Amino acid sequence: MASRGTHIAGVVARRLAAAALRSAFGLRGRGVWRRESATAWRLAFEELGPAFIKLGQLISVRPDEFSDELVAEMQSMQDAVPALPAPEIRAVIRSEFGREPEDLWDGFEDEPIASASIAQVHRARLKRAYRPVWGEELPAGARVAVKVIRPGAAEAIRADVAVARRLAERAVRLGLVKRFDPVALLDEFAESVERELDMRVEGRFADRFAFDFRDDPVVQAPRIVWPLTGRRVLTMEFIEGWRLTEVDAVLAEGVDFYGLAVHGAEAFMRQVFVYGRYHADLHPANVFVTPENRIAYLDFGIVGYLTPEERYNITQVMAALVYRDPDRALAYSEKLGVHVPPEKVPAVRAELGKLLDALARPGEAADEQSSFAHFGYGFLRLLGRHGIEIPSGYGMLIKSLATVEGCSRMLYPDIDIIGTTQPFTTRVLARALADPAVLRERLPEAVRAALRVLVA
Amino acid sequence: MTDDVMRFFAAWLLTHETADEGVKAAIRRGQEAGLEGMGGGPDAFVDGLAAMIEEEKEKLKAELIARAKGEAPASEERPDPAIEELRFEVSALRGRLESIETKLDAIVRRLGGE
Repeated sequence: MASRGTHIAGVVARRLAAAALRSAFGLRGRGVWRRESATAWRLAFEELGPAFIKLGQLISVRPDEFSDELVAEMQSMQDAVPALPAPEIRAVIRSEFGREPEDLWDGFEDEPIASASIAQVHRARLKRAYRPVWGEELPAGARVAVKVIRPGAAEAIRADVAVARRLAERAVRLGLVKRFDPVALLDEFAESVERELDMRVEGRFADRFAFDFRDDPVVQAPRIVWPLTGRRVLTMEFIEGWRLTEVDAVLAEGVDFYGLAVHGAEAFMRQVFVYGRYHADLHPANVFVTPENRIAYLDFGIVGYLTPEERYNITQVMAALVYRDPDRALAYSEKLGVHVPPEKVPAVRAELGKLLDALARPGEAADEQSSFAHFGYGFLRLLGRHGIEIPSGYGMLIKSLATVEGCSRMLYPDIDIIGTTQPFTTRVLARALADPAVLRERLPEAVRAALRVLVA
Repeated sequence: MTDDVMRFFAAWLLTHETADEGVKAAIRRGQEAGLEGMGGGPDAFVDGLAAMIEEEKEKLKAELIARAKGEAPASEERPDPAIEELRFEVSALRGRLESIETKLDAIVRRLGGE
């Protein structure tokens, strides 16, 4: 553990020294140093491997704790690593199924089509037809994607988390970190990564997603082949199409970009506001546009869950955003665990009002300053400035909403995101208010209010 | 007595008319705000909701007219959500069992090879 600790310290020191040199030891200005050091941290994390790449993803949703430069760098962190040689991947498959890839699939390709810190993906074909949990049968010979956990990835992550946890405990004992609990953050991180290391969890969510969107012919998730799936190997339908990062390639293919952008945003809102379970690792490489004009969601490794109460409160916060209602935003954020001390409410409310005013109006295309992302990260920063703790999950949700906006804008830059969100949240809230339990709670107050108006 | 009844219905009509005008004003504000941006606050939400209810009303009106003319499409038979949910749960369970069976086969094969 000590040698790994030394290695980590060595990599960070080397990268920071190079950044110091590039910024002439800070003589080129503070801004240059901040940018260079943020890049150095990102490169160090990429070099240190899976645990740090995942940790970087966590930092990327905490603008309240870390500098803007660092958050931006961590958001741009690439989770792409050189592919492992085929024999190592084949060994994982053998250990998982006790058979050679050729006995399990036809045409298993040794050359991976994607390689990330935790897993790499290979193409193959089904030997025999399979009836998935939901959706039509996959015929024999259907192309599949075989996702295999990289050997040693789990052990390396666990070891790094243990080192980081020890360092965090020491930092807490020395009083170096006061505003948030790094040990709790690491425990939450470890739990999330453990889930990601079990391919069956991802498969189950993909099935659930396909079921949730069974009435929507535009939204698609890969069908899972369970007899060829285990803890470390996931076999799923291979989806043909283009990543959002490759949308230029589809320009000539007659795809309805506006329709897909709006539908993609609505599909995400449906996950959050209606089902309370959502794809929490959305980025342009995980969303495909298919030649049939459909949106396919891939990689369900990180999933967010919300209780019905959280779901309702988040819908209210969203309604506050689209209707520019700072009081509603604060009241329901409070219910989500954002406790603003009474003496700080006026200042926070005023600053929140400014952020809301900057948001695009319905009918307007959002630019950088009037986007959800600008609002969301601005709100997190505002809370951080006032020393208000942000509950876990809140940052992840804001990042996810910002990513949905980013993905939609990637498909159609002039999308009116507020105009898309407004009818959806209004409808969901109206449905929630029609709940007999809510009506019973609200009716006496409504009658009193009506009487007050009548007798005034 | 006649005057009382007349007065009662006049009051009823007046209330109805005022409420109707209020709703129409809310719909108008909601529709205008939809184009030009929201002023903010809870009233904006109520206006937005009113505008959407108006849209729904227009849809319903068109549907009723079409139905009266015999043009309405046959209502789709949607499966019972509870049965669909159950079907999914059973199917998901099958998936889990298939995965476990594969694991079991692998263990048996490994033990057989030892």
